Amino acid sequence: MSFSRYKRELSALIAFCLLLLAVGVAAPSFFAGGNLRDLLINNAPILLIAVGMTLVILVGEIDISVGSQFAVCSILAGVLAKTGMPTPVLFLCLLLIGALMGALNGVLVGFLRLPSIIVTLAMLVAWRDLLRWTTEGAWVQNLPANFQWFGFGQTTGEILIVGLTLLVFAGFAWILKNVRAGRALYAVGSDAEAARLAGIDPPRIVFGVFTLMGALVGLAALLNAVRFSAIPGNAGIGLELKAVAAVVVGGTAITGGRGLLVGTLIGVALLGTIGTALTFLGINPFWEKAIQGAIILAALVSDVVLARFEKK
Amino acid sequence: MQEAIRPTNLITEQSWRARLFPNNEWVLALVLVAECLIFSFTGNNFQTAGNAFEITRLSVEIGLLALVMTPIIITGGIDLSVGSMMGLSAVVMGALWRDAGLPMPLAIFLTLLVGLAGGALNALIITKLRFPPLIVTLGTFSLFRGMAEGLTRGIENYSGFSPSFLFLGQGYVGGVIPTQLFILVAAVLGVWWWLHRTAFGRSFYAIGFSQEGARYAGIKVRRRLNFVYCLSGLAASLAAVIYVAHLGQAKSDAGTGYELMAITAVVLGGASIFGGRGTVLGTVLGLFAIVILQNGLRLSGQPAELAGILTGVLLVATILLDRLSRRSESKPQTQTSAEEEFEVKNWQVGVLSAVILGAALIVAGSNWLLVRSLTREAGTGSNAPQNASANAPADKKKTVIAMMPKAKGDPYFISCKAGAEKAAQELGAELLWDGPTDLDPAKQNEVVEAWITRGVDVIAVSVENKEGISTVLRKAKDKGIKVITWDADAEKDARDFLINQATPQGIGETLTDEAARIMGGKGEFAIVTASLSAANQNEWIKYIESRLKEKYPEMKLVGIKPSDGDRDRAFSETQNILKVYPNVKLVMGIAAPAVPGIADAVKQSGRTDVKVTGLSLPNMCKPYIKDGVVDSIVLWNTTDLGYLTVYTADALAKGTFKKGDTKISAGSMKDIEVVGDEVRLGKPFIFNKDNVDNFNF
Repeated sequence: MSFSRYKRELSALIAFCLLLLAVGVAAPSFFAGGNLRDLLINNAPILLIAVGMTLVILVGEIDISVGSQFAVCSILAGVLAKTGMPTPVLFLCLLLIGALMGALNGVLVGFLRLPSIIVTLAMLVAWRDLLRWTTEGAWVQNLPANFQWFGFGQTTGEILIVGLTLLVFAGFAWILKNVRAGRALYAVGSDAEAARLAGIDPPRIVFGVFTLMGALVGLAALLNAVRFSAIPGNAGIGLELKAVAAVVVGGTAITGGRGLLVGTLIGVALLGTIGTALTFLGINPFWEKAIQGAIILAALVSDVVLARFEKK
Repeated sequence: MQEAIRPTNLITEQSWRARLFPNNEWVLALVLVAECLIFSFTGNNFQTAGNAFEITRLSVEIGLLALVMTPIIITGGIDLSVGSMMGLSAVVMGALWRDAGLPMPLAIFLTLLVGLAGGALNALIITKLRFPPLIVTLGTFSLFRGMAEGLTRGIENYSGFSPSFLFLGQGYVGGVIPTQLFILVAAVLGVWWWLHRTAFGRSFYAIGFSQEGARYAGIKVRRRLNFVYCLSGLAASLAAVIYVAHLGQAKSDAGTGYELMAITAVVLGGASIFGGRGTVLGTVLGLFAIVILQNGLRLSGQPAELAGILTGVLLVATILLDRLSRRSESKPQTQTSAEEEFEVKNWQVGVLSAVILGAALIVAGSNWLLVRSLTREAGTGSNAPQNASANAPADKKKTVIAMMPKAKGDPYFISCKAGAEKAAQELGAELLWDGPTDLDPAKQNEVVEAWITRGVDVIAVSVENKEGISTVLRKAKDKGIKVITWDADAEKDARDFLINQATPQGIGETLTDEAARIMGGKGEFAIVTASLSAANQNEWIKYIESRLKEKYPEMKLVGIKPSDGDRDRAFSETQNILKVYPNVKLVMGIAAPAVPGIADAVKQSGRTDVKVTGLSLPNMCKPYIKDGVVDSIVLWNTTDLGYLTVYTADALAKGTFKKGDTKISAGSMKDIEVVGDEVRLGKPFIFNKDNVDNFNF
């Protein structure tokens, strides 16, 4: 297997390794089991959303409404759980609610051909304000005892969350590589007209991708909510930027048609670790945002440098 | 006046409509007229010259950003970093003026250079390295804001600017016209002339249409793009200067979220995000459609959240309409592909109808609210409106009390609202409850301005930014409105009374004493605060630190971490604290949503030797207090705070309470002590295992 095929992912991986190396030298306690476990669980919901975002970006669109969808799903997860709904039904409901919100984006972007950045910008504002209007920012409290960790206790619950996330990730990675529908995403993202002539129905693919994105948001919201004993009304602010940044840092082209889920995994790992790593390195938290921005830019620039290097 | 002829249009003879409104801007103009009509019925004093000027004042900063965003979007690009650039520029200006001691004009000049440099950075990466603008400016979006926070350590808050500078953002020329209006008008005319009347400006349409094509036509594409991104940075820093003059303070959070507002205005105005289309007239119409919607809803006493929902619906509806009209137009021209593409299947029609139905329901819902307020205005009176009491005598004019929290979504203020509503019901007063959804000093000013225009009896504000809001509160006082502050004070001469729940010193010291009690007076502890730039929290930390030095030399504060009011962030920060500082014996949360997050983190780590304390709401922390994870929390009775504020406001409006009184009778709270111009709620209260069940807020 040639490495040049994965060079975009490689540059993110190198950055990630450098970061790990720096932390390893300065603060070896970073690699303690407990810390790695916490990092895994904290980033599992973000990984789910980043997987969806990768699909969306692959077809050449973008979804910046996921943070608001996440908040709506979180609150609804709590409200539904309080009705005493059994866990499997709760899962289905959340997937459905998420998928419906995603499908709304999908109809507008896929079938009506509206620009996704504008549609999802409108949804970002509308869902958030609709939630604020109805809940007035209130938290969902006094959740039933079997809601937290699905009633399995902390360790089992954590394994379940991480396991489910990795399963979804692996499933989508496999589909993207081996299944007709998965390959169709690349075709649509590269050239929608060519894809149409090749017998693919691009509007339908785009609609499906947005619906999946929504369902993944619903799943992520549920898996995140069960980690706590209450659900705040302002969840997921800024989540869309985190997800888009992780996908792009992971080497997926924002113009569509190119990218791998492995890259997204590295991107989530890189951006999800920076905050913790900076704390371990004793760097002032005031600079955290600036460093994050710099890393995104650096990943982009390194990409170009790598490409030029290769040409020589 | 003739607007630009749409370069995409192949029709040779254009009707006047196509020439004036190449992108269906007339729809927006209709919306604008409709908004004005509805609001002049539902809103109090909407239709006044004063209000018209206030609307323009509020739109200057976003207007500047949107105007320069227009050519960027016309070229098919985007600039997400403008809001962050405002934050960076504001901070740089403050630092140059105060810390470096430069004269104001020089500081402003250098600030504009910083904006130019930031724009140049964007331009460099976009044109030299050929990266999509969306991604580049997403990176600089974090970078600029992060630099602003890093430079100020989040804490620095520059204020005390000279009156001649503040006149730029607060003054009135000839006593009527807001100063910054001239800047907006000049910018509108300038950009209009530049974009639509010069070959240089028109070239942006060519670039947006086809970069390659433009290059072959002899347009220096890269240079043009460099120019427009630099201009965008410059406009952002100019907007920052006006923003600072308007608020009287420069902080790293200036302009948060402004980029989205600017982009919304441009797109609403008919510009295509894919480039090649857009007009200055459209942008200006889009800008006013948003600003008037917000202003009108406020004056009608409608929930401000409606503005977001309606803006979203409007945005989708505008581009949908544009798409549909273009579809019918383009059909005869490009038959082969267009017809096939736009063939709609039956099930697609079904989905489409469902979506339109959904949108219609939302619109209908909001209309229902508007109509309800209409009937209330008409005086049917019998169906009691939201916040007012049903048993109030119908003939007597109700006291209108306008009350503002720092952030509407904050559970702390939600519990204050419960008390305020109870008091309003008892007194038969009308309570208006409005404010920013998240901490946002600029929004606070905006709401007070709207209340002054609307005409209320009392304004009660929980102040986020002392210097910023005092000017507008003084203006309210001049108009004969009683002004009180609650929860956090403004400048003393800007208000009549302060409802004082606890002084920052009292809070800081009580928190420190509680921590000392739990830790036995020695050991390490850490703090999780709200955002690093939160003014209140930073003041508490100041008193905590001085108390430590003075009374508990064996206690050590090892770290302060931000939570940004996000429970999940507090959770992960606490996990880090526990690992990086393994000797920490206590974690203190000083923002209401932070404490449950800290408690969950400590609980899930299994560290029973670490205790939690802090400032939060009893209801939020009850489970953790009972578990023994949270030892105690410090707070006052927030419901009482809201209750007392409304009682004081009502008594002040009716004249039964005035300066010099030493006590005030507040309903079920009985007599409350008044010292000078402060109504005192009492000392901070400590909630623990034994008493937490007695409280419900």
